[in-house]
Amino acid sequence: MADADFHVQDNADGSKSIFLTGRWSLRGVDNNFTDLRSQIAPFFSNPFTHWDITGVEQLDSAGAAILWTGWGHAVDKRVSLRPEHAALFEMLAALPAYHSVSASDGNVVVVAVQRMYDGCLGFIEHLVEFTYLLGALVLELLYVLRNPRRIPWKEISANVYKGGVTALPVTALVSFMIGIAMSYLMALQLRKFGADIFIINILGLAGIRELGPILMAIIVAGRSGSAMTAQIGVMRVTEEIDALTTMGISRVLRLVLPKIIGLVFVAPLLAFWTSAWAIAGGMLAANIELGINMEFFIDYLPRVVKPVTLTLALVKGLTFGLLVTLIACHFGLRIKPNTESLSTSTTSSVVSAITTVILVDAIFAVATRSIGL
Amino acid sequence: MNTPVQTPVCQVQGVWTQYGPAVIHRNINLEVWPGEVLALVGGSGSGKTTLLRHIVGLTQPTQGEVRLFGMSLAKLDRDEQRLARNRFGMLFQHGALFSALNVFENIAFPLRELHQFDENTIHLLVMHKLALVELEPEHAWLLPAQLSGGMVKRAALARALALEPELLVLDEPTAGLDPDRSEKFVRLINNLRRQLDLTVIFVTHDLDTLISLADRVAVLADQRIIAACGLHELAASDHPFVQNFFKGISNRLERMN
Repeated sequence: MADADFHVQDNADGSKSIFLTGRWSLRGVDNNFTDLRSQIAPFFSNPFTHWDITGVEQLDSAGAAILWTGWGHAVDKRVSLRPEHAALFEMLAALPAYHSVSASDGNVVVVAVQRMYDGCLGFIEHLVEFTYLLGALVLELLYVLRNPRRIPWKEISANVYKGGVTALPVTALVSFMIGIAMSYLMALQLRKFGADIFIINILGLAGIRELGPILMAIIVAGRSGSAMTAQIGVMRVTEEIDALTTMGISRVLRLVLPKIIGLVFVAPLLAFWTSAWAIAGGMLAANIELGINMEFFIDYLPRVVKPVTLTLALVKGLTFGLLVTLIACHFGLRIKPNTESLSTSTTSSVVSAITTVILVDAIFAVATRSIGL
Repeated sequence: MNTPVQTPVCQVQGVWTQYGPAVIHRNINLEVWPGEVLALVGGSGSGKTTLLRHIVGLTQPTQGEVRLFGMSLAKLDRDEQRLARNRFGMLFQHGALFSALNVFENIAFPLRELHQFDENTIHLLVMHKLALVELEPEHAWLLPAQLSGGMVKRAALARALALEPELLVLDEPTAGLDPDRSEKFVRLINNLRRQLDLTVIFVTHDLDTLISLADRVAVLADQRIIAACGLHELAASDHPFVQNFFKGISNRLERMN
C-alpha cells in the first residue's frame, strides 16, 4: 500500500485537477500530515480546481479533516468521491464548528482586580470551611465524651506511632545538626567578648523556646501533614469516605479526630525531644570549640533556663501540632476527585501549615517576651 | 487493496508468565487475524488481563514472545515502538481518562502528541470521535469526574480511536454498565468495527457481550488456552470450566436461533 500522495493535471480550460492516491489515513505510518497539508494547501485557494479522490486506497477522519478544512467546510460539485467517503464527509459536516477562544478580554488592571477579588473570596471560603471543620470537631468531641465507648483508640494509637514514633530519628538528626551549626557560629562571636559561658544561656533558651517547637512543626508538617492531606484526598477520590458515611460512621470522628488527638498528644513530646537533641549538638560543639565541660554544661543549664520556659515550649508544641493537623485535614477534605487537585491541595497544605506555624510563633514571641527571660 | 499473504495482527508464541512460584501462563499460543473479533475469557485470576497487558506491551512475559503486526514491541527502538503503539488503541477497564483534563483534551491528547495537526483540524477530529461514540459535543467540556460510568467508557473509547487504530484492545468493556447500557456499548463497538475496519481483542465476563460481539473465543484455564474457536464449537466442549462457564450459553444460543 502506498503512502498518501497526489498529482496535478492541467485541464484544457486552464483549470487544474488534483488526483489523490495512496492511504490518506493515520494508518499509513509514514504519512506526515504537516508536510502533506503544506504541499496541497496552495491548491485549496483556487475555486475552479477539480478534486478527484476516487483513487485513494484509504481515507480516514484525519485525511478527510485535512481536505474538509481546506475546502472551507463544504463538499461541492468540483469534488468527485466514492459513496463510502461521502458518508464520512457528511458526518464531518454535521459536527459543530470550531470557535477559537479569545485569549483574554479586558485590560490588565481589570484582570488584576478580578484576580485579587477571587483570591479574597477564596480565602474567605477557606476560613468558612475551616470554621465548619472546627465546629464539627467540637461536636464530635462532645459526642465522644458522652459516649466514651466510641473513642477510636486504635486510630489514635496508630497516629501516635505514625506521626510521633517514626518521626523520632529524622527530628533528632536535623536538630542535632542545627544545634552544632548554631553553637559553632555563636562560639566564634562570644569568644571575642570573652563571654563563653553565655553559650549555655543562648542554646538553652533558643533550643527550648524556639528551635524545638518550630523544627518539630516544620518536620511534622512535611512528613505527617502532607501524608494526612493525601490520605484523606485519595479516600475521597476512591469514595472510601462515602463508604464510611453509608456505614453510619462520621468521617470527622474516624478520620480527623484521631489524627488531631494523636498528633496533639505527641507534638509537645516531639518538641522536647527536638530541643534536647539541638542542645546536645550545641553542647558537643561548645565542648570542642570553647572547651566547656559537658558535665558543667548540664549542671549550669537549669540555672539559666527557668522551668516556665518548658511550660511555654509545651504550649507551643501543642498549638503547632494542632494547627498542622487541622490545616492538613482541612485541605484533605477539600480535594476534588482528580490528580491535579490532589497535588495542589497537598502542596497548599504543607505551605499553609508552615506559614501559619511561623506566624503564630511570632505572635507567641511578642506575647511572651516578659515570661522566663 | 490486495493483501496476498495476511500476517496475523497479533501473535502470541509460547508465552510463559511466572510471578515467583506462581505460574500464570504455561506455553500460550494464540493468533488474531485482521478483521477478527476475539474474546478472551476465563475464571477470576486466570490471567486474562495479564495476557492482555503482554499483548499491548505493558508487561513482558517470562518466556516466549508477543508479536503485534508482525513486530515484537520489545525489540523495537523508541521511535519505532511509538509508531507501532499508535497502531492500536486500548480501552482500560476503568477508562483511565486523565482526570485533570476534560474530555476534549483527553481525546485531543494523542492527536496533539503527533504534532501533525493544527487546532482547527484537532477540533474537527475530536468532535468526529465524539460523534462516533455517540457522545454530545457539549460533553467535551466536562471533566472525567463529572461523567457517568457509561460516558467514561465512551470517552475512553473515543480516545482509543483517536489515532484510527487497526487493533482495538478492550479490557472488560461492559463491566460496571447496566444491561441496557452494556447492550448499547456492544452495538456501538459492533458498528465501529464495521465502519473503521477494526480488529478487536477483548476480555469479558459477560455472556451477552460475548455472544453479540465475539467471532472467536479463546478460553484461558489451567494456565493454558484450552480452546480457541467459535461459540458453537465451544458449547460442545467437555472441559469442566467451559461446561460451567457456558452453561447458560447453549440456552442463549438456542433462544437466539
